[in-house]
Amino acid sequence: MPSDYLPILMFMMVATAFGMGALILGEIFRIKRSYPEKLMPYESGNPPVGEPRMRFSVKFYIIAMLFVVFDVEAVFLYPWAIVFDKIGFYAFIEMIIFIVILFVGYIYAWKKEAFTWD
Amino acid sequence: MLPKLFFGYYAVVITFLSVLIITRKNPVHSVMWMLLLFFHIAGLYLFLNAEFIAAIQVIVYAGAILVLFLFVVLLLNLREELQVKRFVGSWPAGLIIAAGMLAIVVNVIKSFTAAPRGIYSIEYIKNATHTKALGQVLYTEYLFPFEIASLILLVAIIGAIVLAKRKLRS
Amino acid sequence: MVPLNWYLTLGAVVFMIGVFGFLTRRNIIIMFMSVELMLNGVNISLISLSHFLQDLRGQILVFFIITVAAAEAAIGLAIIIALFRNKSTIHVDEMSEMKG
Repeated sequence: MPSDYLPILMFMMVATAFGMGALILGEIFRIKRSYPEKLMPYESGNPPVGEPRMRFSVKFYIIAMLFVVFDVEAVFLYPWAIVFDKIGFYAFIEMIIFIVILFVGYIYAWKKEAFTWD
Repeated sequence: MLPKLFFGYYAVVITFLSVLIITRKNPVHSVMWMLLLFFHIAGLYLFLNAEFIAAIQVIVYAGAILVLFLFVVLLLNLREELQVKRFVGSWPAGLIIAAGMLAIVVNVIKSFTAAPRGIYSIEYIKNATHTKALGQVLYTEYLFPFEIASLILLVAIIGAIVLAKRKLRS
Repeated sequence: MVPLNWYLTLGAVVFMIGVFGFLTRRNIIIMFMSVELMLNGVNISLISLSHFLQDLRGQILVFFIITVAAAEAAIGLAIIIALFRNKSTIHVDEMSEMKG
């Protein structure tokens, strides 16, 4: 029920107010005396070379994609675990089929060396 | 009065954030506004007594899909994106299409007539807890779609690996 | 009590903002995010209908929509990566090989 989540709402409001308040107060009270050397990124005294933003490797994408898929699988497990005692053995069989089908994808990813990091 | 005030807040913020998402130049900013949008939509779902759906909105959408988007934006690392123009040349046509469709849909909503109510009243869900009521329907009545969902996820794994992974040693 | 029409109108507005973004942005990643926006607009309508009609089927549908959205994001973003690798652009109006 919505009213049960009032503490979470208050928590989020306090957290937002604290985070924004700290930034705003800092902006108001800090001394701003900047010059180009001070605004430069710190690289142990050397002038910075090249772009600070580097391109990500596609390996990150593969890992994130596998995370998304198995995250959805885990989401399907929560309601199953709760109603398991009501439905019984039947629910067990359904979930075994579900997990076996996804396990095929897991084996495929393994064979394609999606998990190796080289 | 208070529920209407809450809804008004959510409606204004969700609309505003949606507009921000499609108009920002930097895709990273779009992703960040989308994170805030998903949290607001989850709040709206809580407001409609759909607690479990709100939870998976945060877990799957905000926690997983947006990470995927962010990785792709960083993967492509588009520096020139900040200089080029955002919209295609014929954007007024898109605006007219979207506005026309919105006018049609809003007009249709007026003539909505409700079907007879089902058995899952607020009291029923409160007694059984939302996740339990949902699971009871999902794993008995919707068994077949549930198994199909696993096939869709299998296709997603295989397709994404085939498309994104470079050829091995070639 | 907030009337059902308000929720449906909000869902329609979010959906149409998604339509506008999909039709007009040049960046294919933002186009993809517009699709997610459209799905969310539909989800708002389904959840509110499910609440007002006191039927859980709308929420089951949203559950499956979120599953399909996850699969769609995985495949679609992989297509974007493959596209960027071959054409090194993500602007849709620069891809015109099929034009006669």
